[in-house]
Amino acid sequence: MIMMLPFVTSLLSAWFAWRGRRDASIGWWFVTLAIYIAWCFYHMTSSLNISL
Amino acid sequence: MKISVLGRNARWLDALALLAVSATLWFAFGWQLLVKELPCPLCLLQRVAFIMVGIGLLMNLRFGNRPLHQGIVVLSALAGVVASARQVLLHIAPGDPGFGSPFLGLHFYTWALLIFLALLVYCGLMLMSDAAGSDTAPRKLTPLARYAALVFLAILVVNVVSTTLECGLGPCPDNPTRYQWLP
Repeated sequence: MIMMLPFVTSLLSAWFAWRGRRDASIGWWFVTLAIYIAWCFYHMTSSLNISL
Repeated sequence: MKISVLGRNARWLDALALLAVSATLWFAFGWQLLVKELPCPLCLLQRVAFIMVGIGLLMNLRFGNRPLHQGIVVLSALAGVVASARQVLLHIAPGDPGFGSPFLGLHFYTWALLIFLALLVYCGLMLMSDAAGSDTAPRKLTPLARYAALVFLAILVVNVVSTTLECGLGPCPDNPTRYQWLP
């Protein structure tokens, strides 16, 4: 798991938005979201010490 | 106040919202340097969520106010709510000191949760203002929007460098105490 990866893909998304390339920006935002969800599974699937 | 007032002022409101998101990220980075508290993996995920929110706002500034851009803001803020609420729940038990130092009585992840919820409220109000159009051609940025975009891009670059120095090209430890790529 590469922690800095979503920062790189989000930077690409923001850069394309700045340069006026909307579709590329949206595409890289979706890549960032996919990595985010994967990283959430990696970091958030242990049980919590509380009752819900 | 009629809700359409928000729609008429959408451009500078979005610029202010992007500045607020950037200020949050800059503050967290400044805290990291001054207090020497390295962000944990969940904290880094919350930073990513703030950046994803900022991308939606930047798209509003660059291409006009569109439901697709607002959807990006909503989904990004919800992603941030998931990470920050998870961290709140991790430390909610009585006697738990929490992670890191509190700021104005609240830990950073609690502040993050509140800010993500505020962003969701903002986005809901902007959608209610019915200001969205259909043109998606790039538009010239106003001076305030240009400043907000540059401040946002700068903190993105800073976060890429900072996270790479802290974690290298792998996962971050749950309780980081040093930069892996610094001696």
